[in-house]
Amino acid sequence: MARLNTDPFQAIADTNRREILMLLSAKKMSINALADNFNISRPAVSKHIKVLHKTGFVQITEDGRERYCELNPHGFDEVKQWITFFEQFWKQKLQNLENLLDKRATESKN
Amino acid sequence: MQRDIVVKWFFHHSPEKVWECLTDPELVNEWFMKNDFLPVVGHKFQFHSRPLPKMGWDGIVYCEVLEIVPYQKLVYTWKGGPRPGVIGLDTILIWTLSTDGDGTRLILEHKGFSGWKNIIASIFMENGWKKGIQRRFGQILDNYVHGTTEHGPLPGDCGH
Repeated sequence: MARLNTDPFQAIADTNRREILMLLSAKKMSINALADNFNISRPAVSKHIKVLHKTGFVQITEDGRERYCELNPHGFDEVKQWITFFEQFWKQKLQNLENLLDKRATESKN
Repeated sequence: MQRDIVVKWFFHHSPEKVWECLTDPELVNEWFMKNDFLPVVGHKFQFHSRPLPKMGWDGIVYCEVLEIVPYQKLVYTWKGGPRPGVIGLDTILIWTLSTDGDGTRLILEHKGFSGWKNIIASIFMENGWKKGIQRRFGQILDNYVHGTTEHGPLPGDCGH
């Protein structure tokens, strides 16, 4: 489940994190393999991954001793949630509109 | 997956009456939300509603009028986010009215929902990134998103 109340813009404001996303867009990678692509320390890479994980960009799975990262396959859950919300929202609002139109028509007759 | 919402409605009132309710800020406020709408192309305005923190929305909708055809069509942007300056929802609303008998048929289209953290926050929107890289990444991500990829993993795929 993607976390919805976090700021994706902040997550991608960092060059290293963008680089991580770019690497992951090509394939699933272990944290060690990811770290090999950077000049910064492995803990620093881990920290960036943590941010990307928290903001719902990256999913982490464990396989034996290795932890693997991939782009979050639930990246569209947020959209689904918006669409579900707005479908209800619009029906409710259009019902309001109909009620208002009816009310105004009755008022103008009187 | 579904990316657009289309809602159809019939009113036993003329398109003029319905149009009035869509474009008079006072009336819009009555059935819809507080707003500072003006029926002028290019006019920027806002709607104010109850915040939905769970969905990353502070309750403010940022809009700009894109098109007006009196009694027929009204188009404006519909954007929102967790706080001012951060847009997570970047969509568009199209209201289309047509006469049907002695009533009005309304089609409301709400379009432009895009996932994947808004396609990686619109492929980074920053200066430091060279266009070629952005384009390449965009392409890769696009493939990933549509599942037609030769480069990227599909959900559940273990990679190569």
